[in-house]
Amino acid sequence: MSSPAEQPILEARGLVKRFGGRRGIFDSSPTVHAVNDVSLRIARGETFAIVGESGCGKSTLGRLLLRLIEASEGEVLYEGQSITALSQREMRRLRRDLQIIFQDPFASLNPRMTVGDIIAEPIRLHGLARGKAVQARVTELLGIVGLRAEYADRYPHEFSGGQRQRIGIARALAGEPKLIIGDEPVSALDVSIQAQVINLLEDLKDRFGLTLVIVAHDLAVIRHMSDRVAVMYLGEIVELSPVDPLYEQPLHPYTQALLGAIPRPDPKDRAAPKLLQGDVPSPTDLPPGCRFHTRCPHARQLCQEIRPVLEDAGGGRGVACHFWREIAQMETATTQRARTDGALDRRLEVYRAAQARREADSSQAGKIL
Amino acid sequence: MSAPQAASGVSTAASPAAAAPVLSVEGFSLTFDAKAQTNLVEDVSFSVAPGRTLCIVGESGCGKSVTSLALMGLLPSPPARIVSGTARFEGSDLFAMSERARADLRGNEMAMIFQEPMTSLNPAFTIGHQIAEGIIRHRKLSKAQARAEALKMLEWVRIPAAAKRLDAYPHQLSGGMRQRVMIAMALANRPKLLIADEPTTALDVTIQAQILALVRRIQQETGTAMILITHDLGVVAEVADDVAVMYAGRIVESGPVEAIFADPQHPYTIGLFGSVPSLERRQGRLATIKGAVPPLQLMPKGCRFAPRCPFADTRCHEQVPPTVSFGAGHKAACWYAPIEQTMGATQ
Repeated sequence: MSSPAEQPILEARGLVKRFGGRRGIFDSSPTVHAVNDVSLRIARGETFAIVGESGCGKSTLGRLLLRLIEASEGEVLYEGQSITALSQREMRRLRRDLQIIFQDPFASLNPRMTVGDIIAEPIRLHGLARGKAVQARVTELLGIVGLRAEYADRYPHEFSGGQRQRIGIARALAGEPKLIIGDEPVSALDVSIQAQVINLLEDLKDRFGLTLVIVAHDLAVIRHMSDRVAVMYLGEIVELSPVDPLYEQPLHPYTQALLGAIPRPDPKDRAAPKLLQGDVPSPTDLPPGCRFHTRCPHARQLCQEIRPVLEDAGGGRGVACHFWREIAQMETATTQRARTDGALDRRLEVYRAAQARREADSSQAGKIL
Repeated sequence: MSAPQAASGVSTAASPAAAAPVLSVEGFSLTFDAKAQTNLVEDVSFSVAPGRTLCIVGESGCGKSVTSLALMGLLPSPPARIVSGTARFEGSDLFAMSERARADLRGNEMAMIFQEPMTSLNPAFTIGHQIAEGIIRHRKLSKAQARAEALKMLEWVRIPAAAKRLDAYPHQLSGGMRQRVMIAMALANRPKLLIADEPTTALDVTIQAQILALVRRIQQETGTAMILITHDLGVVAEVADDVAVMYAGRIVESGPVEAIFADPQHPYTIGLFGSVPSLERRQGRLATIKGAVPPLQLMPKGCRFAPRCPFADTRCHEQVPPTVSFGAGHKAACWYAPIEQTMGATQ
């Protein structure tokens, strides 16, 4: 991956987002501190994941990065240039490069437009093609995401969830973007369909040299897809790390708890996890000091008073915890486990081989049984 | 419907004590359209014994939720119609009972918890009122007694400040707390069978872990039989004793949880495991299951997985595969299982 010296494709500096907080005689809405002082650099060509539980501010951060909502403080730089002060018109030009796909593909596709029109809209908007060429481009894009050309004349409701997500991806690709943010792009899909869309996103990334930012809560999906991961808790990044060390030796107590809470797909391994107590505090009423101290098994006096900042932990890692060094020494048990499912691996190989043969056959003029 | 057939049900073979099953479903088929050629749920059999957990796994539309609603008697009929089969609960067939008898069982001897606690709790009544309601309906206690009972239940499911929460409304609780309330409500009358339909799907992982631990503890304390419906193989590995994998309305594979995970036989089960990203270091691309579940009108006469199966041939499309035993209660319905023997050689 890229060295820190290289210019990041997208950078956030001290991003803050607060919602609400208007105070009048008849109206006092509490301030929601959705994102607090987030800085990060996303390298060209990497897959960067933002992970956290509901209400941690990960989706808000994703939208801030694309300036789909305005930050309360801080700025976002795209290719080294601040986009925070750009006019609407200048932003519109930028939108070609920066695209987003959403969790619920149904809610994000206009039900009154045909699939062809949905995909053609950004092509026309950015003046990328005209007349017949638009249709040709739509057909090409449908092919790229694995849908048939005839589907252009149908409406979104005629499609399954996985197909709709493919339509959303085709639309995002229409402007030939450089970076795509996926906001929970596969979490509404069934496992088998989810795998198809994950593979598609990976293929597209390779094919078009995209940078991907994945906002998600599923830690297995993130491990599979990403190069680097930012873990969020109550609006802040608590740990930022390349993917393998994060999963093999998580440093922040929250990351440890999060990874420990995931059910392992191995019935022989039912060690009772160390459970986090209680619920996430409300973002309208944040605890002082470290925001995680109310649930942290290692919390001490200092944690209640002083907010830890993200500090360099070496190896491209950052962690926001006063006591991470001590905790790292205590936590010797890692999440590494040996895979023992020999029969499954063997059969998966036969399964994949058969699937590959079928594919080769059907592409050879459909000689399938 | 013969006795030996029932004895080889999903759960019995694995349980050494071989306690009589609380629930035993045999050859259950269901349709929503009397004129349809194909049943939505087709020839489903399973059983669950006291203290055991049967997980029914499958993706959306596989019939897992519809099956559980039919068992609870919560499907509107028409349009739902049970085409065939029996569901013996403590010996008597649920499908042959009067609606009144079933209402007496429901929320009493058999209870259910749902995925979204917010939509299954009444927003207009307090938590205490809603738990007490079920207690009064089935146990003829006074209001005060029922309220005391409700408090005990809330404490049992570890709701902090339970006495105060009795008078709280659902919207005042977090998602995890609401699911605890649902569990308290379902267990208030000490059911013999608990059906949980995706009970942790709407929850964050740290809260999910709390709820799964709670469910496990409760089951140890009460010996309730449980049917847990889920799409999450991690949850299955965590709580199941026995597993039934459903695809498009049929059980394609079933058996003790260790056998299903260590030795999956049906191509759908294999593809499903291959589709799940691992928490371990990345091992290349995910396997996929091509295409999607066909609509009912296009369902093949034979194996319903055939259109998506990389091994399927004409016979698979035409003829329903036999259920083959792989020992110790482990069964799969496939013409070609075990595939590495029947298919590996032809490469």
